Amino acid sequence: MGLFVFLPLVLPLTAWPMARLAEQHLHPRTATRLLTGVAAVMALCSTVCLALVMVVGTAQLPGNPLPDGWSDPQVRAAVPYDEVVGKAAIPALCAVVVASARALWRHGRVRRRAHRALAGLPGTSVAVLPDDVPYAYALPGGRRDRVVVTTALLDRLDPAERRALFAHERAHLSARHHRFLLAVRLAALANPFLRPLRTAVSFTAERWADEEAARAVGSRRTVATAIGKAALVSRGTPVATLAGLAAPGPVPRRVAALLGPAPAARTWPSVFTSVGLAAWAAAFGTAVSAMSSANSAVTMFLILRAATPL
Amino acid sequence: MLSALREAEGPATAGWVQERLGGDLAYTTVITILTRLLDKGAVTRERSGRSFAWTPASDQAGLAARKMRKVLDAESDREAVLASFVTGLGPDDERLLRELLGDSRDDGEA
Repeated sequence: MGLFVFLPLVLPLTAWPMARLAEQHLHPRTATRLLTGVAAVMALCSTVCLALVMVVGTAQLPGNPLPDGWSDPQVRAAVPYDEVVGKAAIPALCAVVVASARALWRHGRVRRRAHRALAGLPGTSVAVLPDDVPYAYALPGGRRDRVVVTTALLDRLDPAERRALFAHERAHLSARHHRFLLAVRLAALANPFLRPLRTAVSFTAERWADEEAARAVGSRRTVATAIGKAALVSRGTPVATLAGLAAPGPVPRRVAALLGPAPAARTWPSVFTSVGLAAWAAAFGTAVSAMSSANSAVTMFLILRAATPL
Repeated sequence: MLSALREAEGPATAGWVQERLGGDLAYTTVITILTRLLDKGAVTRERSGRSFAWTPASDQAGLAARKMRKVLDAESDREAVLASFVTGLGPDDERLLRELLGDSRDDGEA
């Protein structure tokens, strides 16, 4: 398998142009699905390859529980630079596993605690909390999906803007956006090169909900003003960015997108545009990633089977 | 008794209510009244240790709000789970946002 085993570790780089271009040039629904799919496949392939390299690394360690045959020179020859990368893969894979387990556990814990906090309220789909901190979010929970919003935020919005807010949060819930967000979060933990895809998906998921809300209330401008007002009243929590490098944040970009024309619901961009090229590059990277990890897995399986005395 | 409960920060025990009301009522009387209020739906209770903690029903929303704030303050990466309506604004975002919204308002009036 040679160097092929390392390809899935760096191929996420081929998805960077798409992570950058998709949010402006694709419908947010297409962009979210495409980017999440690419991130999930690439993360899986990268983890498989990391595990394969780790097997080679572990077999060299004294006192390992693996069959003796696995430390044969033939097996080690399957992975180039096996001495270094084999050992480096052990902590790397452990870190991936621990970080993913922790992320999953925290995800469950936040949802459980939030549901428990609302347990005393009547089981309506919207929970209005009397609080002077303005916030609103969608709390997924299977049949107990809820929109949580505080009076402080509702008081600042017109009736039409409130409808936009509820439509936005309901869109998050009905399209199960939390699953996309969790998938890209885990992917970004599995391979740090996938982080730009996570950032892109958190943005496109918001845009997706914005577009759904605009369709539901029939006015793009109402959704834009609702987002703008909500952001201005809750500006007490600034995001930490270096002032010199600050590009416009997600909120102004969402508002600007809503004030512009509705995005076309094309499913796959033409190859003759920059985003089309980027999408094909990402698709190509994903395919190569899948093939190299499959190839490496099969090769490693055959070598190990040959090396294991039965 | 309800007003005494409302003065409590969060759920209160029957003993606390008795103390608050100032002596004349026996502990069992307090429990009886609280149980009657529970039947009427004016209060709710939840088990805490060996006794119950009582909350006025009208305060359920406020209680939920306080609990939710506690959850949100405790979770540093809650954004990863709860897709909130808006995220924080960067240094230049506020000015940009006001410009955008100002423009849209002008368009609306034109």
